[in-house]
Amino acid sequence: MRTCFILLFSLIFINVAAQQKPVDTMFDRQLEEVVVTATRSERKLSNVTVPTTLIAQKTIRQSGSLRLHDILGEQTGLFITQSFGRGVQMQGLSPDYTLILLNGEPLIGRTGGVLDLSRVAVGNIRRIEIVKGPSSSLYGSEALGGVINIITDQATGRKLQADLRYGRFQTIDASLNGTIRSGKLTAGGFVNHNSSQGYSLKPNSLTKTVEPFWRFTGQGNLAYQFNENSRFNLDLRYAKEQIQNSIAVQNLGTVVVSKGRETNQDLNILPSYSYRFNQRLKTSFRGYLSQFRSQQALEVKNLVQGYDDQFRQDFYRIENQTDIHISEKLETNVGGGFIKEYVASNRYDSLSTRRANQVGYVFFQQEWRPVERLTLIAGLRFDANQAYASVWSPKLSLQYRINESWSLTGSAGRGFKAPDFRQLYLNFTNVAAGSYSVFGSLVAKDEVLALQSAGQIDQLMPAFEKLADLKPETSTGLNAGIQYRYGSSGRVQLNIFRNDISNLILTDIIAFKTNGGQIFSYLNISEAFTQGFDVEAGWKFWKYLDVSGGYQFLSTADKAVLEQIDAGQVFKRDEQTGVSSRLTRSDYAGLPGRSKHMANLKFFYNPSSEKWFASARIVYRSGWGTTDLDGNGIINRDDEFAEGFALVNISGGYTVLPGLRVMAGIDNLFNYTDEVNLPGQPGINPYITLSADFGKIRNRSKTK
Amino acid sequence: MKMKTMTVAVLGIALLGTYACSKDDNSGNTNQPIQTVTASNIVADTILGIAPSGQPYGSGKFTFFSLERNTVVPSSDSATNKWDIGFRGTTIITNSGNSGPGQGGAFVFIGLFDDLLTIPADSVFRVDNAPSSYAIPTGSNRGWYVYNAPVNLVTPVPGRVLVIRTATGKYAKLEILNYYRGGVTPAATASDDDKLRNQRFYTFRYRFQPDGTKTF
Repeated sequence: MRTCFILLFSLIFINVAAQQKPVDTMFDRQLEEVVVTATRSERKLSNVTVPTTLIAQKTIRQSGSLRLHDILGEQTGLFITQSFGRGVQMQGLSPDYTLILLNGEPLIGRTGGVLDLSRVAVGNIRRIEIVKGPSSSLYGSEALGGVINIITDQATGRKLQADLRYGRFQTIDASLNGTIRSGKLTAGGFVNHNSSQGYSLKPNSLTKTVEPFWRFTGQGNLAYQFNENSRFNLDLRYAKEQIQNSIAVQNLGTVVVSKGRETNQDLNILPSYSYRFNQRLKTSFRGYLSQFRSQQALEVKNLVQGYDDQFRQDFYRIENQTDIHISEKLETNVGGGFIKEYVASNRYDSLSTRRANQVGYVFFQQEWRPVERLTLIAGLRFDANQAYASVWSPKLSLQYRINESWSLTGSAGRGFKAPDFRQLYLNFTNVAAGSYSVFGSLVAKDEVLALQSAGQIDQLMPAFEKLADLKPETSTGLNAGIQYRYGSSGRVQLNIFRNDISNLILTDIIAFKTNGGQIFSYLNISEAFTQGFDVEAGWKFWKYLDVSGGYQFLSTADKAVLEQIDAGQVFKRDEQTGVSSRLTRSDYAGLPGRSKHMANLKFFYNPSSEKWFASARIVYRSGWGTTDLDGNGIINRDDEFAEGFALVNISGGYTVLPGLRVMAGIDNLFNYTDEVNLPGQPGINPYITLSADFGKIRNRSKTK
Repeated sequence: MKMKTMTVAVLGIALLGTYACSKDDNSGNTNQPIQTVTASNIVADTILGIAPSGQPYGSGKFTFFSLERNTVVPSSDSATNKWDIGFRGTTIITNSGNSGPGQGGAFVFIGLFDDLLTIPADSVFRVDNAPSSYAIPTGSNRGWYVYNAPVNLVTPVPGRVLVIRTATGKYAKLEILNYYRGGVTPAATASDDDKLRNQRFYTFRYRFQPDGTKTF
C-alpha cells in the first residue's frame, strides 16, 4: 500500500516539465458549462467521455425545488424511490448503488441501503452533476450505477439573499444565504428551516401517511487564497431532522396508537488545500469528517412494544489528488487516500461496541488525445479493505468528434459496492411479526449455533452452509452514445447502456426456528442486469424559450430467474381458477420497482428582461412491479404492478422591485396520488415564495 | 369478545355444513376412470382473535378430510383411519406418524399437477412428527404457501403438488388453489380485518387413485 503511494508520487515528479497550460477555467465557466465529476478535474461538458448531466442553480430555483429528490426526480432516467426515505434509481440500479457526493465527498448515513435525499436542502446548490455508469475507478465503493455530485455555492463576493416559502400542509421553508469577501478571505453561510404538518392520504385514519416533521440545515464555507497558486478551503454542514412517527395497531376492533419519533443528524467537515506548483502540476489535499446519528424511538403501549433504536456512523478520510498536465495530448490524475469508518448500533450488538473498517486506496487516470478529434481516458483504482476482499476498478472511455456538430462516446467500466455494516453485523429479531430474525453474515453462524444449542432451531437450510465472507457487489457497465449539438441553441443525445451486476447481496433463509420463525442472513447470491437507452434533447427557441425532453427505455432481469424459467422451474397461478401453469420469459417483468418507460418534457420561459419567468414540467413513468401476489416470488401478473402516472408541475416568478421577487407554483397540478405505492406523493401542492436579494435592494436605494 | 367468539364459531360450523365439492370432466382417459375433484371452502380453524404478540389464533382444532370419500370427517373420528389429511390454519397434517394411526405420509412435488402422472420411484414420503416437523413442511416458503408480510396475504406457491399417501396406504395428488373464503384472495389493498376474517378456507383440487398404484 505505502509502496504504491511512493511509486505514484515519484511518477508525478519525474513527469514534471515546463509548458504552458492554456485553459483558464474562470473564463470558460462563463462561456461554456464546466463539470468536474466525470474526470475529477475540470472539463467542458461537451468534452466529457461519459454520460453526464448538469443541473444549473437557475433550473433548481425556477423548478421550485426544496430538497434534493425534488430536482432529481425531474431528470431523465432517474426515479425517486420511496422506501427508507427518498432514494434515486439510476439506469435501473437501486439507490444503494449510486454514490451521492457533497462537494466531492460522500454523504453517509444510509438506511436499508438508501441515502435519504430529502435530508439534503438545495437552497445553496450551485450545480448538480450526474454521471451515469460505473465510476469506481475514480470514486471507489457505491459508484456502480453512477455518481451524483452536489456542488454548493462558493463565496465569490458580497451577497445576502433570503427566501421564504409557504405551501400546502403548512409547509414552511425559510433560507438565508450570504457571502462576504475581505481581501484574500471569503466566507459564506446558508441556513434553512423546512417543516410541514404532514398529510393523510387515507381519510379518517388514525395516523398520517406522512407525519409532521421539521428540518434544519446550516452550511458554511471559508476560503483563503494565499496567492494565485495556493488556496485553503473549508466546507461545513450540519443538518438535523425530526419526524413524528405514530403507529396504530388494530386488534379486531381495539386500536392502540403509539407515538414515536425519528431524529437524524448529519455533520460534514471538509478542509482542503490546493497548491499549483506551475502551469503543469497541481496537487490538493483533502480531509473529510462526517458523522451520522439516527434515533428511532417508540413508547411502550398496551399491545405495542416500544423500542429505542440508535445508529451512529463516523467516517474519516484523508486524500491527495495530483493533476499533471504533461502536454496538450497527455493529462494525468493520480491520487490516494485512507478511510476509517466506525458504526455502532443497538441493532448490531450494543451502542458501546463500535464496529470499525478501514480502506486504503490509490487511483490513476490517464487522458490521451492522439489526434485532436479523439480523446481516450483510462482509469484504474485499487481499494484495499480490512473487512472484505480488495477490489480493482478499471475504466476506459473515449470521445470521437466527427465534426463540429456530431460526436461519439463510449465507455466501459467496473463498479463495486462494499458490503455494509448492516450486512456484516446486523442482529435483529422482530418478535411481533412472525418472530423472524436477520443476522449479518459475520455474526450469523455463531448466533444460529447458539440458538441451536438452546434447542430453538428446527431446521438448517442449505444457505446456512453457504454463509461465507461477503464479497463486494460488482458491476460491469457499458455506455455508448451519440451527440448532436447545434451551436449553443440545440442538442440531441442518445446513450445505450448495459450493466451486469454480480455478487448481489440479498437476504436468504438460513434456518427456521422451532416456533416457525425464519432466520435470514446476507449472501452473495444473485446476478442481474439492467439495459436500455436514453434520449435527451433540448432546444432554445427565440432565445427565451428552453424546451427539453428526455426518455428512457429500461429492461432488467434477475439472471437466476431467467435460468429457472428456461429450466421450466418457475410457475404462475391463474387468479380465477387457482390452477398453476409454467411461466415463460415473456411473462417475467424483470426486477421489481423498475419502469419500462420514463419520460419528461420541460418548458422554461425566460424573457431577456429577466423580469419574470415561467416553467412547466411533465414527468412520466410507466407502471412498475411492486409485490409478488401469486407466490412465485417474481413480478408477472398485472395486479403486481403499480399504475404508471404523469405529474405536471408549473411555476412562475415576477420581479416586483429590483432584488425583490415573488414566485408561485403548483406541483402535481392534476392531484395524482397513489396511497399504496407513492405514500410520499401528497397530491396537488401549491406554494408561494418571496425572495429578497439585499445586495440589489441596496444598490437600488444608493442610485436613488 | 365472548360474543364475537360465539359468532365466529357459529359461522364456522355453518360453513362446515355447506362446503361444496365439484367434479371435473375426465374425458380422454378411459383406462383410468379416476377423476380430478375440487373441494371448496374447507374451513381450517378460522381466526378468533389476535394474541398480544400479534399472532392470530383460533380454537386449535383440525378439520379432517377423507380424499377417498371426498368429505369432511368429524373430529370424533380423529383417532381412526377414516381421514387422510387435516387442516388447521396453514398447517396440513397427514394421517401418519404422531398425527394419526394411519399409514399416511406426503411430500411436496415441484412441478405441475397435470404433469405428475406417476409418482417417481425414488420419492421419499415423510411422516408427521408434530409439533417440530410435518410431512408437509409448515412455514412460509417451506411447503405449500408463502406469506407476504407487506400485504398480509397467504398465497399457495404455484407449481407445488402435495403427493399424499392416504390412511390406508393409497395415493393421491393434491394442489392447493386458494386459502380464502370462496376461493377469492382479498385484494392487496383490502383491510387487515377482511384478510383475517376471510382466511383459513381451503380450496384444493386432487386426484385419488383407488387401486393403490402410483399412477394418476
